[in-house]
Amino acid sequence: MNFAERMLRIDRRIIFLVIGLCTLVPLLFPVGLPIKISSEVRGVYDYIDGLPEGSVFLLSLDFDPASKPELYPQAIAILRHAFKKNLRVVGMTLWVSGTGLADQILSQTAKEAGKENGKDYVFLGWSPGGSAVILNMGQDLYNAFPADYGGKATKGLPVLAGVQNLRDVTYAVSLGAGNPGVEAWYVFGKDKYKFELGGGCTGVIAPGLYPLLRSGQINGLIGGLRGAAEYETLIDQKGKAVAGMDAQSATHLAIIVLVAICNIFYFSLRRQQRRQNA
Amino acid sequence: MDLSFTVILGAWVATGLTLFILSFLYEDNPLFKLAEHLYVGVSLGYTIVKTYDTVVMTLIVRPILDKGEWTLLIPVGIGMLMLTRYVPKAAWLSRYAFAFIVGVGAGLAIPRTISSFILKQIEDTVRPLLGVAPGGGVTFDYSLLNPASHLNGIIILIGVVSVLFYFFFSVEHSGPGKAVARAGILFLMISFGAAFGYTVMARMSLLIGRLTDLIEFSDASYGRPTLWLVLLTIATLIVLSRRGSTHPPNQ
Repeated sequence: MNFAERMLRIDRRIIFLVIGLCTLVPLLFPVGLPIKISSEVRGVYDYIDGLPEGSVFLLSLDFDPASKPELYPQAIAILRHAFKKNLRVVGMTLWVSGTGLADQILSQTAKEAGKENGKDYVFLGWSPGGSAVILNMGQDLYNAFPADYGGKATKGLPVLAGVQNLRDVTYAVSLGAGNPGVEAWYVFGKDKYKFELGGGCTGVIAPGLYPLLRSGQINGLIGGLRGAAEYETLIDQKGKAVAGMDAQSATHLAIIVLVAICNIFYFSLRRQQRRQNA
Repeated sequence: MDLSFTVILGAWVATGLTLFILSFLYEDNPLFKLAEHLYVGVSLGYTIVKTYDTVVMTLIVRPILDKGEWTLLIPVGIGMLMLTRYVPKAAWLSRYAFAFIVGVGAGLAIPRTISSFILKQIEDTVRPLLGVAPGGGVTFDYSLLNPASHLNGIIILIGVVSVLFYFFFSVEHSGPGKAVARAGILFLMISFGAAFGYTVMARMSLLIGRLTDLIEFSDASYGRPTLWLVLLTIATLIVLSRRGSTHPPNQ
């Protein structure tokens, strides 16, 4: 067995180890590589930044703990921005398994910003029906969520003053890890009830959402941990996403090198076999 | 930093389960199985409890008992019909519930999906290949970085036509048709490559998330769960590996 053959049959655990080290070392010793802001992330930031004080901002945290590493930093960054702008924040989720996490994110960020539950923000929790909940909210928000997550009646809450349905929402952002998520909010929400919509998503589903961005169906898109890092940079509050960017770059570099090396060995082996057969 | 007992316990559980799951990268083992089964069980249990509390108690029982909203019994009745699947003689009744769901679901989804994903996307795909200058004459924007440029419009046109032709099987892909189909494959490959690149990025982000937590939980304020549980996991893997080598599995 020659060198190329040995390298192509390398124990996969060695590759895992290389990837693990490429992730761990930059996390322990960060270099602080520069982060360039993309126009899609800036789209969400600029819109929130331009909203007048007291505008109704709806954040739908459509993910569960499995997508926490990517969407948690996005949610924290957006909420910090919204609270800083003194927007009235309405939080909710379409994913039952993400209810506890969504509540924790909203309460933690609100506490940090000194905001009051019911007056400055409300967490509506989860309601059954998936995409149908959006339609229900479009007709009557209080019918879809008669009580908030804490069991308090939503009708009469100061944070929801003047809000009857989705038409009264100034801006909505869905942070989605799948379905229902950003697409559902466009199809059953924005397209029907005509409010402005932005999106945030995991890296896996980001390519599928770019057509919506290009056609203007959503006005911005925060994709994966990278998008979260860009948003953290924009609000000048660097957190977990920015801290992970060095590791992300290092692992990407390692994967590119591994793919290139594998191809070199593969083609050299094929060339040797052709020579032997000739 | 003083942390409550629940936070410290949470850190130990999270660290342990993360390491147990990661131990699968070495080889399949009982620690991984334990974490895997716990994940399935806990997430299912959580979903059942939350669904019961929100649907049964908040949206059905309380409105009926507190506000006398007896009309809620109609959807409850339709929903209960689904349970007749378990009684063979009455199973036909469940068809009414399914018919209701399918009918309402299709009625809501079809027009909205056509509007959002077909008409809007066609509207965005059909773009002018040349621009009209204010004083007359035509203009052409070459910028690849501007999504609305004419050059990108032409690339989209070629991409859409060639990919559609590639999936058009009524005509043999030979001669000029072969070149168009090949172009379609090229566009598809670029699309798959972009999707795979994003997938790699997402998976690496998940690893970064777990490692970030492991680093945080190596702090003395948590009792250094990362350190102790790494040692425990490695020791368990060594013991299991030795046991496996002394007792080969039966053929």
